Amino acid sequence: MADLVQFIDSKIEKNPVFLLGNEAIARGAVEAGIEFASSYPGTPSSEVGETLSHVADKLGIKFLYSVNEKVALESAFAASISGMRSLVFMKHVGLNVASDPFVSIVYTGTRGGLVIMTADDPSMFSSQNEQDNRHYADLAHIPMIEPSNPQEAKDFVKAAFELSEKYHIPVLFRTTTRVSHMRGPVNVGEIPKIKGTRRVFERDPERFVSLPVNAIGLKKMLMEKLGEIAVESDMSFMNKAQSNMVSEIGAITSGSGYNSLMDAVASHSIEIDVLKIGFTNPLPRGMIAEFLRKHDKVVIVEELDPYMEEKIRAIAQINGIRTRIYGKLDGYFPLVYELNPDAVLQSLARILNMPGYIQGKSPKTGVDLPPRPPVLCPGCPHRGTYYVVKRSVRMSNIKNPIYASDIGCYSLGTYDPFDEADTLISMGSSIGVANGFSMVTDQKVIAFIGDSTFYHSGIPPLINAVHNNLNMLVIIMDNGTTAMTGQQPNPGNELDYNGKPVTGIPIEDVVRGIGVSNVSLLDPYNLKESFATINRSLHQTGVSVIISRRECAIIRDRKLRKNGEIEIYTVNQDKCGKCMNCVENFSCPALFIEKGEIQINPSICDGCGVCAEPLVCPFNAIEVKK
Amino acid sequence: MTYNIRLAGVGGQGIITAGNIISEAAMRSGQKVIMSEIHGLSQRGGSVTVDVRIGDCYGPIISQSSCDLVIGLELIETFRAIESFENVGTALMSTEKINPISLSMHKKEYPCLEDLMEKYGMGTRIYPVEAGEIAMEAGSSKAVNIVMIGVALGLNLFPMTADEVVYVLKDTFPEKKLGINMKALELGIALSGRMKTNIRENSTIQNRSS
Ligand code: SF4
Ligand code: SF4
Repeated sequence: MADLVQFIDSKIEKNPVFLLGNEAIARGAVEAGIEFASSYPGTPSSEVGETLSHVADKLGIKFLYSVNEKVALESAFAASISGMRSLVFMKHVGLNVASDPFVSIVYTGTRGGLVIMTADDPSMFSSQNEQDNRHYADLAHIPMIEPSNPQEAKDFVKAAFELSEKYHIPVLFRTTTRVSHMRGPVNVGEIPKIKGTRRVFERDPERFVSLPVNAIGLKKMLMEKLGEIAVESDMSFMNKAQSNMVSEIGAITSGSGYNSLMDAVASHSIEIDVLKIGFTNPLPRGMIAEFLRKHDKVVIVEELDPYMEEKIRAIAQINGIRTRIYGKLDGYFPLVYELNPDAVLQSLARILNMPGYIQGKSPKTGVDLPPRPPVLCPGCPHRGTYYVVKRSVRMSNIKNPIYASDIGCYSLGTYDPFDEADTLISMGSSIGVANGFSMVTDQKVIAFIGDSTFYHSGIPPLINAVHNNLNMLVIIMDNGTTAMTGQQPNPGNELDYNGKPVTGIPIEDVVRGIGVSNVSLLDPYNLKESFATINRSLHQTGVSVIISRRECAIIRDRKLRKNGEIEIYTVNQDKCGKCMNCVENFSCPALFIEKGEIQINPSICDGCGVCAEPLVCPFNAIEVKK
Repeated sequence: MTYNIRLAGVGGQGIITAGNIISEAAMRSGQKVIMSEIHGLSQRGGSVTVDVRIGDCYGPIISQSSCDLVIGLELIETFRAIESFENVGTALMSTEKINPISLSMHKKEYPCLEDLMEKYGMGTRIYPVEAGEIAMEAGSSKAVNIVMIGVALGLNLFPMTADEVVYVLKDTFPEKKLGINMKALELGIALSGRMKTNIRENSTIQNRSS
């Protein structure tokens, strides 16, 4: 928290401040005078929201977590065309969800500056794919800006707002995990006083109603605008040639690739000229042509796809430049994963013919150390749900069930001992694929989906299932929060992030409203009743919904610890029958074996007491610690 | 030149806090610092690392061959960190054990320190630290991270002074938690004095490259 307090209190005289890339983006937006911000949380973009949620009220900024990225973008667009500077941010796949309005609002254009921040995840630290969102810039013809570090993140966001307002066009602000989650010194600037009043939207249907009759003209105007913006890119401070007056070799780079390149060349005293590009769409074509002309060889250092490389090769071709260009298309750089300094060095060593640096042996990996993948927290309500579902399915003799899982903490149910995920694709896909399975197989289909994900994208596929009389059991795991990304609120909550009352929308009302008649509620801390409920539902036909409701253990823990009410559990060794069921099949991370005895780690047990239930411990050996 | 530190442990052990304190103290001493953080799914009780790079550098990633110091808050995680580099200068290792559920699930027990030492961390100077006990002595099992910072300071493994760290502690912790953490820092520094001699006597631990 210290850093968040520091964030808002930071005055210029405290410079530099130690900020996370995402905090720097929030700071830059605040310095740019945003009056509106919206998002759906997603790693690695979430801390922008965490930061804004702490300062928005104080600064008079209207900030909200939206039900999904599409609604977040549409709201920010409305704020923009009502005259406010607006920021909307999401993880890379979030832009897929928002892509429908995204493409069209570039046609219509904006009024108050609108910056759309998207965070890519090379190496997939917490994502299902490593799509390169720079391609969205081409798809939508939207200007794009990419910082390499927190200082640039802050400065470039401000520039993005200015650009957006000057050309009445949204601007895509693209980061990657390493930039968003890199902490570094940032010189902050003044925070302006914002009007924060309400606006009057001035209608202009020819612009904002994109019926074909209007869109036809808008597309042409957009391409003209982009031509003007290309000139801007060629003069932008965000693109910089750093010349060491080396005529032989130069590198063109951007984002994280720049950092890895600079670290690699610095540590091995390699002399190279560098053209660093922060304004990546439209590329500074003139600058690039000039840089190419000055060097015999040019290396393109960029993460993920050869996005710049293809265009740079085209620039060379159009200008008749014969410089030898090296990149991914000719196999010198890898097409997958983040580009770390070692990888860059390997590629440079091949290009520059430095045999000494080409790695022979692969580094040690310590692969035989016991692995420690992420696990559901001690006391996590999902553990009870998964445990009971697995048992019920087995007891009911259901052969070949299909478990369609979804995105959230409960994705961890894919690991042992639960192994309850056969598909996991995108937000809401559990119910979506369950539709298809129900139509083409006779297997029992069980869809797991969290509360936030259900509101986000789970409702349309449920409507589809009911409408088409399909068969499936949908288990909505309602822990009352968007847990994985840091416990942000969602439409089920009665209080917003700032404690203000909002209208909670009960999932059972939604589900019944859609027409599901078999709706049951269970408490995953009560295994016996949960077991009965699930058993019943497994035998129903049609669409059945179970809402498994218990608050996220992290939230529960925070409350209990504050009141000093936590009661932890211990194993009574005299009673323990050493069946090992608790560790093998329930597997709370607080449980472990030492000298053949089951123990509970008192510093991580959160006292949920679920392991003490006879369905987990048939010997009743787990007791409250006195 | 950069001085590269990897902090390793298990989600929930206060690794980001430790990284922040080291970084801010280095910044106070006038040096450039970059730190990488881990967020999202990986925080849920899994292996977590935070890298701190002090000096002239651009990105947060430490190259395979240039990790100067590993600070491990947990045994297995310390070795995992050491093993993820080609070589590591020095490692401070808290002897805290947090059982990975992957072990108990398969009815296995936590490996003992001697076995781990036997197999991993060759070529690295490893200092085991009973940080858990010291943290309890300071008043909270949660203060392991600060004990380790104290030990590192005492062993002169940080390019900054204790005063700079103290300043940052005061800035970081609220009044009611500051006492415990100050105590943890002091006890860590004090322990380092005793450790140096221990290390000299115990040559099997001191230098395993021979
Ligand atoms: S954060 Fe909450 S929902 Fe996620 S694993 Fe932990 S207890 Fe479960
Ligand atoms: S009571 Fe049992 S299941 Fe709950 S956190 Fe403690 S050890 Fe884990």
